[in-house]
Amino acid sequence: MLSSRHHSALSLPQARRTGRDGGSGAPGTLINPQALMAIKNLELRARTVVEGFWHGLHRSPYHGFSVEFTEYRQYSPGDDPRYLDWRLYARSDRYYIKKFEDETNLRCHLLVDNSRSMTFGSLAYTKAEYANTLAATLAYFLYLQGDAVGLLTFDQYIRAYLPARHRPGHLRHVMLKLEQPAAGAATDLAAPLQRILRAVKRRAALVLISDLLAPIQGLEKDLTALTACGHEVLLFHVLDPAELQFPFEKAVMFDDAETGRRVFIDPARVRQDYLKRLEDHNRMVQSACARLGIAYRRFSTDRPLELALFDFLRERMQRGRRNRQLRGK
Amino acid sequence: MSFLAPWFLLGAAAIALPIIYHLVRRSSKEHIPFSSLMFLRPTPPRVTKRNRVEHIVLLLLRCLVLGLLALGFARPFFQKPLTAAAPADAARKIVLLVDTSASMKRDGLWPAAVARAKEVLDRASASDLVAVLAYDRQARSLVTFEQWSAMAPGERASLAGQQIEGLAPSWFGTALGTALVSATELFAQNEKQGPAAGPRQVVVVTDLQEGSRLEGLQGFDWPRGVSVQLEVIKPKRPTNAALLWLVDREDSPLSDTEAGPRVRVVNSAQAQHEQFQLRWDVAAGATPIELYVPPGQSRIIQLPKPPSGRASDRLILSGDDDAFDNVLYLLPPQVEDMNVLYIGDQKESDPAGPVYYLSRAFQQTRRLRVQLQLHAPSVPLPPDRLGTARLVIVGDRLPEPAVEPIRRFAQEGGTVLVVMKHAGFSEIVGRLAEVQTPAAEEVKPANYAMLGQIDFAHPFFAPFADSRYSDFTRIHFWKYRRLDLAQLPGARAAAWFDSGAPALLEAPLGKGRLVVLTSAWTPDDSQLAVSSKFVPLLYALLDWAGGRTAQLWQFTVGDSVNLAGFAAPQAARPLTVVTPDGASLPLPAGGQVFTQTDAPGVYTVGAAQPAARFAVNLEAAESRTAPLPIDVLERLGVPLKPADAAPAQPLEQRRRLQSAELEGQQKLWRWLTVAALMVLIMETWVAGWLTRRTTSPAASTI
Repeated sequence: MLSSRHHSALSLPQARRTGRDGGSGAPGTLINPQALMAIKNLELRARTVVEGFWHGLHRSPYHGFSVEFTEYRQYSPGDDPRYLDWRLYARSDRYYIKKFEDETNLRCHLLVDNSRSMTFGSLAYTKAEYANTLAATLAYFLYLQGDAVGLLTFDQYIRAYLPARHRPGHLRHVMLKLEQPAAGAATDLAAPLQRILRAVKRRAALVLISDLLAPIQGLEKDLTALTACGHEVLLFHVLDPAELQFPFEKAVMFDDAETGRRVFIDPARVRQDYLKRLEDHNRMVQSACARLGIAYRRFSTDRPLELALFDFLRERMQRGRRNRQLRGK
Repeated sequence: MSFLAPWFLLGAAAIALPIIYHLVRRSSKEHIPFSSLMFLRPTPPRVTKRNRVEHIVLLLLRCLVLGLLALGFARPFFQKPLTAAAPADAARKIVLLVDTSASMKRDGLWPAAVARAKEVLDRASASDLVAVLAYDRQARSLVTFEQWSAMAPGERASLAGQQIEGLAPSWFGTALGTALVSATELFAQNEKQGPAAGPRQVVVVTDLQEGSRLEGLQGFDWPRGVSVQLEVIKPKRPTNAALLWLVDREDSPLSDTEAGPRVRVVNSAQAQHEQFQLRWDVAAGATPIELYVPPGQSRIIQLPKPPSGRASDRLILSGDDDAFDNVLYLLPPQVEDMNVLYIGDQKESDPAGPVYYLSRAFQQTRRLRVQLQLHAPSVPLPPDRLGTARLVIVGDRLPEPAVEPIRRFAQEGGTVLVVMKHAGFSEIVGRLAEVQTPAAEEVKPANYAMLGQIDFAHPFFAPFADSRYSDFTRIHFWKYRRLDLAQLPGARAAAWFDSGAPALLEAPLGKGRLVVLTSAWTPDDSQLAVSSKFVPLLYALLDWAGGRTAQLWQFTVGDSVNLAGFAAPQAARPLTVVTPDGASLPLPAGGQVFTQTDAPGVYTVGAAQPAARFAVNLEAAESRTAPLPIDVLERLGVPLKPADAAPAQPLEQRRRLQSAELEGQQKLWRWLTVAALMVLIMETWVAGWLTRRTTSPAASTI
């Protein structure tokens, strides 16, 4: 049955379409990530984001963007007629019953990259801290929603795995695992995906948070396997602004955070090539995700985290709409 | 400054390397951590106009190190003006040394040496100055520089050649070192009259045998500009064996076997024969002894005595190629007879008496035969008894008629020993010394007395001066007589008892001496006769009495022989010596040393019978005929020039040689290397200091 909590569809403020990050430039509206990262406690950080997000929902000037957390199924004799969607009947001349998301018992698995490349950061915090905060925010949000949250952290090996649960104390476990520092010497994307494939039998939402600075051969195959099992995959591609823009000027030795390799780089001479190669890489990932129907979001670590949460929710909404459309056919 | 290897200076171009390094390594120590280098390609550093040199001091130090090393490898030196070379036809000064030692008697060597020496003389140009020296144990001049100059130029070589032809190898050894030194002194003497204009050279015509003595070159500072050219005469046949006599200890007891002398046969290393024969030189009846001596080895042979009835004084070795050293002259050792007269009543067979021990102490040896003559004091002394005695021992009271002859014996140079058996013997001492009877007291120690003090400088105790033999404390004296030394004029003690009383004293009597032993050696008085020092003491007494003469009878060619031991005092003077070839050579009046031992053989002294003889043999080193390694001479500093050395070198070659010599003397590369090391140390320190100063990895200029 529908949960009363989700009786009414949630309306999210419409994001102001300015800039690439979807309008995070409104002062006082979204939390500055630098200020957020100053909060030492991860759970507190997550709570801050979530509460800020909800707060923004009520007084944000954004309008006109509604997300319905419902899906429909055809009316069967015996269903409660109070949940008949008359609008849909007017459009389709068929009877459909509204169904809320929580009734599907959402299971969400957070796959968080903890490799050494995530320890890079040109701001006051690293990508790992940002990614962990993002994961913690999602976990906290979902937990509040009553959804089951699981966690898998990885580098070149799988470091921690928590199955999706909604039990007292489970969120604390998740936070503790997310607080462990990144240490891996490389990044292997295939292992966590294969592990999830084996461990998660029921359909779930999989949120992959990684910088994807690793060879992605085989990634598409694993992702395909996941989507084929019916999982919803959302990919948060987290990169540092310095990685995205390569603003270095001085010719110095660059140290690879994962391998420790040290190479002399003249940024003036390699910038163009680097940006092209990075863009090619990202485009490949994006195309693969597009082909597989995986939601891909590129996030610079200077982007407010509420927008990530926003994207997460929007994606869920869009997915729900697509599913309804498919069933309507 | 000049360089011996100038092309090494190209290495200075390496200085560009640190310059480039400093330009391109701009900020290379700084590093930025980045997430992943998978999209970054390494860029090699390049020098651009925008680059600037960092750490100029470090750069300069590194450039300096490379520059110093390049300079050092180039072997710099300071050039000196090239000394003008002696023109090719400049007059040379040559000293020709001709070896006339015994080893040149080998088959064919001497004629070849003469021919070679003449060749050297013929090669001399009209402007050359030549001196000729012949040498064996010493160098002697044949032709001086002045004599050469005085000769007509066309006749010089032949006249000098005739001088050489008049030479013959002697029997002496080879003192090559002394001869070379003499040759250089000849140059020095000649140059006092004017400086040397041309090269100076010593040409040595020799067989260059291993037995050549080179002591003269030890420590000799070879003069600059004098080279040595060796004209080595090689023997046609290399096998040479030598005979050496092995000396037995002259005081060793005679063996009662029929064994003869022991000899060593040495075969040369290049020998081609190994079988030899050894025999006494008698007309017949001497069976040769077959020997097998491998090349380079030796054998010791105990020879049998010559056949009975056939005395022989020479051993002959046969079987090798050179006979010059195959005869060894051997004379049997001369046994010296010595008479010791004992005056006393004791019997030789009485163990309590002194004669018992005296007769057993004097044993015949290879060199000495002591005759102990016993004479009872009551019997008048025949004059000849004292005349032949060397030592008189008084062991009993002397009757008055015996005192005077004995005193006279001592006054004429003899030695009289009085053994005091009791205090009454002081009367004998007084009568012999012609003084009042000195006071004497019989002393009987409670336990025993020892010799507390000994004068080891005294001839009687001198053989015991070594600390190994100087301990007399084990000899205990039960009784002795305390004699007052002061009552004996001129007396001095040589040993004292621990009580301070003299144990042995000596008083001069004319040319001889009176020796008094205040304790007898018999068991009643002491343990002296049974101690190990008794016999050596007696022989020391004999030596002191002038009894034994260390007489040699085997000599080497060239030795000086003291004939005092060969001729009896009554032999006719002046002494004559008959040489092996029969010549009779008188010595100068009053002379006793014979020096003309020029040939091996047996020499006879005087005409007395039996004849006193001594043997002279070849010097053992002359038998070492193996070639002397040339580097031995070079190690002694003799600059050798090959026999066919090229004439004066061209200017360029001389300049190169001089440059190499100058560089070898100056060795500037060592200083440059040290300087480079010091700069390197400084560079290391500066680099470390700069590294410590550098802060943590530079922040990226984002």
